[in-house]
Amino acid sequence: MIAGIIYKRALSDIRQNLTNQAMTILVVALSMLLLLFFALFSFNLRHFVEELGSKLGIVVYLKKEVPQESIPALYKRISELKGIESVNYTSSEDAFRKLKKYLADEQQVLEGVDANFLPPSFEIQIDRAVFNIERIREVAAELSTWKEVSKVQYGQEWIDRLEVFSGLTQRALVGAGLLLLITTAFVVANTIKLTTYARQDELEILRLVGATNMFITGPFLLEAFFQGLAGSLLATGIVYATTQYLQSLLSQHPLFKEVELVFLPLSYTAAIIGGSIIVCITGTAISMRRFLKL
Amino acid sequence: MKYIDSAIVKLTDVSKRYTVENLALHRVSLEVQKGEFIFLTGPSGSGKSTLLKLLFCAERPTEGTIRVDGMDISTLTPSQIPMLRRRVGVIFQDFKLLGRHTVFDNVALSLEVLGLKTSQVEKRVREIVANVGLIGKLEQKAIELSGGEQQRVAIARAVVNRPPIILADEPTGNLDRDRTNEVMELMEELNARGTTIIFATHDEKLFENTHRRVIRLENGRLVK
Repeated sequence: MIAGIIYKRALSDIRQNLTNQAMTILVVALSMLLLLFFALFSFNLRHFVEELGSKLGIVVYLKKEVPQESIPALYKRISELKGIESVNYTSSEDAFRKLKKYLADEQQVLEGVDANFLPPSFEIQIDRAVFNIERIREVAAELSTWKEVSKVQYGQEWIDRLEVFSGLTQRALVGAGLLLLITTAFVVANTIKLTTYARQDELEILRLVGATNMFITGPFLLEAFFQGLAGSLLATGIVYATTQYLQSLLSQHPLFKEVELVFLPLSYTAAIIGGSIIVCITGTAISMRRFLKL
Repeated sequence: MKYIDSAIVKLTDVSKRYTVENLALHRVSLEVQKGEFIFLTGPSGSGKSTLLKLLFCAERPTEGTIRVDGMDISTLTPSQIPMLRRRVGVIFQDFKLLGRHTVFDNVALSLEVLGLKTSQVEKRVREIVANVGLIGKLEQKAIELSGGEQQRVAIARAVVNRPPIILADEPTGNLDRDRTNEVMELMEELNARGTTIIFATHDEKLFENTHRRVIRLENGRLVK
């Protein structure tokens, strides 16, 4: 019964204080907007780095003495390694042809050179779904122990740089994100505090007629839940629309055609919406504490 | 804590000090019997409002014991205070209404906190609002009513849950003579039905020709 009354009172309060409610939702939405854009930037940066990394393949050069008949077995062994997306074999002749094509007008430098002088090789792509820098290293290290392999190349320098860059940006983003989260919590809590002060007469009257703390705080907490939900949903909608708009702009531009701007995964948005609700409820509970004494 | 006593309100050597210099009440002892209607009078700052605040636990005594309707206020925990306030109806000079809410909503508040069913709330609110002569203004916002009407809404809110005690703190202070008489008539009616009333006022005309007990406070001390 009390729960029903609390729900009814919350709805009635929302109707009675529409301007205050709208202001609070707007503040929540603006704060969450900052956080969401920040998360979007952070997520896309990571996504971009991983995309770039996943394009780096491993090239395995075989020893010249490896017989042609053992190539299918080697191909099978490599394909069966964990996290391998594709394996392509390039024979010595194919490699020579590719080199000739690459040299185009300068082909004369290859005159008199044996067509088998280049070693046969395998080009390996790591599965994007399980891609990580460590996995490339592991696969490369394992392949270099095989007796048929003469050399393994995997863009070691690139990967090291990528790793340092990714680590640094990740740390900077976590730090800045935490600061932003604290600021958001502070702004939201203070806005709620102001709206609670504006309604202190109402709280006094409720105490006067013998309302319990649960009866008094219940509607306020329910309103805070709605404010947190509405504010964060509004912000999510704006960020989603902006992402779509920017993506359409990028895809029209020849320079950025390949750049893919992705919206935050469900887990991120759910965490931000949940966090917004928690911040609003906590802010309300803290603001109301002083009104509930005696 | 329940206490068996013939007095519905009993103060024993009660003092209230706000600051070192500000002693609002000094060793006040007082008994009010069930069904009694007493006037509490004295000049501004004499301690009338403080005494009433102590009775509904808006303030705690610095010294002494207070018992209200069997409850020892000095030992009440914060979670027990709402139970006391449901047994004591309070009326103020400034009405303390939710201005943007309707007459119905304001009066229903005292019943909603008890967790009563909507149908019961509606029935009792209609009854009491009819008693104070405002049934035609049930859906009107409190802020749109005159001072006298607002005070009648405040009275309806204070009595709708049938408390055994009514504390009235200068309820006629903002009203003209006709509206004051209406409020006094309502108070007499409530008292005739058995409600104990403690009526704080500095307006001596209200009790000039009455047989009611008059308690006078001066500088926080009981003088009569």
